[in-house]
Amino acid sequence: MALFKLENVAFKGIIQYPNFEIKEKAATFITGESGVGKSTLLKLLNGVLTPTEGHVYWVEKKLTDVDSIVLRRKVLLVSQSAVLFDEHTIEENFKLFFDYRDQAAPSSEEMTHFLAMCSIVMPLDARVYELSGGEKQRVFVAIHLALGFDALLMDEPTSALDEKNGFAMLRNIKAYCKEQGKSLVIVSHDKEIVENFADDVIVLGGEA
Amino acid sequence: MPELLDVYQFTLVYVLLIVILAVMKKCKINQSKLVIVASLRMTFQLALAGAILTFIFERPHPLFTLAYLAVITGFSIHMILSKHKELNKTFKMIICVSLSVTGLAILAFYIVVVLGDNFFNPQLAIPLSGMIVGNAVSGVALGMKTFKESLSAKRHQIDTLINMGVTPQKTLLPLVNQAIETATLPTIITMTSMGIIKLPGMMTGQMLAGAMPITAILYQISIIIAIAAVTCLSVFCTLYFGYKTLWNERNQLLI
Repeated sequence: MALFKLENVAFKGIIQYPNFEIKEKAATFITGESGVGKSTLLKLLNGVLTPTEGHVYWVEKKLTDVDSIVLRRKVLLVSQSAVLFDEHTIEENFKLFFDYRDQAAPSSEEMTHFLAMCSIVMPLDARVYELSGGEKQRVFVAIHLALGFDALLMDEPTSALDEKNGFAMLRNIKAYCKEQGKSLVIVSHDKEIVENFADDVIVLGGEA
Repeated sequence: MPELLDVYQFTLVYVLLIVILAVMKKCKINQSKLVIVASLRMTFQLALAGAILTFIFERPHPLFTLAYLAVITGFSIHMILSKHKELNKTFKMIICVSLSVTGLAILAFYIVVVLGDNFFNPQLAIPLSGMIVGNAVSGVALGMKTFKESLSAKRHQIDTLINMGVTPQKTLLPLVNQAIETATLPTIITMTSMGIIKLPGMMTGQMLAGAMPITAILYQISIIIAIAAVTCLSVFCTLYFGYKTLWNERNQLLI
């Protein structure tokens, strides 16, 4: 069964998407030149935006028929720029995001586990403002992983990371998703990353 | 009781403007023209207001009072809306209703319940409406400014929370609460310094006009509480009902 299916989808007369499907329980990479609508596609998939034409289907249901909050919690979008509460510790950041979703915060062990998956090995009481841009990005991803999802949409997740950390994080996330039977959809410009981690590649706006 | 201000003596106060102009010249502040224009505008505007008020006070009629209230309420709404042209129609309507309903309700409560007078008495309704509606406008303007600045500064955070499946209500409510607090605090802080740092304008005016200090104080306390209430209520209604127009049924932000 397809995780997502796009049918004649267009957005605001600027972007016209080809009809395609995204496979369930696979790591699908979306590539293409800047401005072809890769980030917009992720927002259309998790219902932050609605197509102005056509339909997006999620496991054969029209997205517009699914409760938008339920959808966003199952199809979790990790934006390109990390947003954390800088004046708080890493642990407090986990708790704040979970509190916003009215969910009980994970245990310290679970937090440490998800942070390690993103190559973050530092105390939970470290202040976020002391972290580098790359570390913030990985803490941000770790919080999303802890929140839980059926499908994880990631917009340029390695843009703020060096090659070593970027590869390590994606390797762990892919293994975790495979083990848990979850789907992964990643927008990336990095050909090496795509070659190493993609089960499937969708090229928007022309050639690969 | 002090005698009525003599017009010829009154004109002597303009001599003080020369002091301002002299300081400006000495400090090379190139605003002399503004001082003169501002003084002339103030004189003209207040003379015109005085003439209109004299006309209304000499011929008290509910219609005149209502017309005056309609004009100042309309002008207040226009002042706010002209600074927020990008808002959706429902939010604009909420601003109109919040300002007029809270302003007029507090005014009516003050005149009818607290003072026990006729709501249409122009000598009460006109000056008090200026104070009450004027403060409601300042509060709403400050509240809206704070709210919009927060929306802009925290845009990434807001988008992230929405992406995560947090409801727009839960995402935006802290910004609304913060804006209400920012808009209401100045009036509350004013209360704490009142009577120590300065005697408020209305109280000073009443004493100059011959009222006993205790009478002036009672009026002052009651009007300040009415002002605090109208500021709080108008900002609360504007933002609390207005922010709910910023997303659609799919929980997508419209800003």
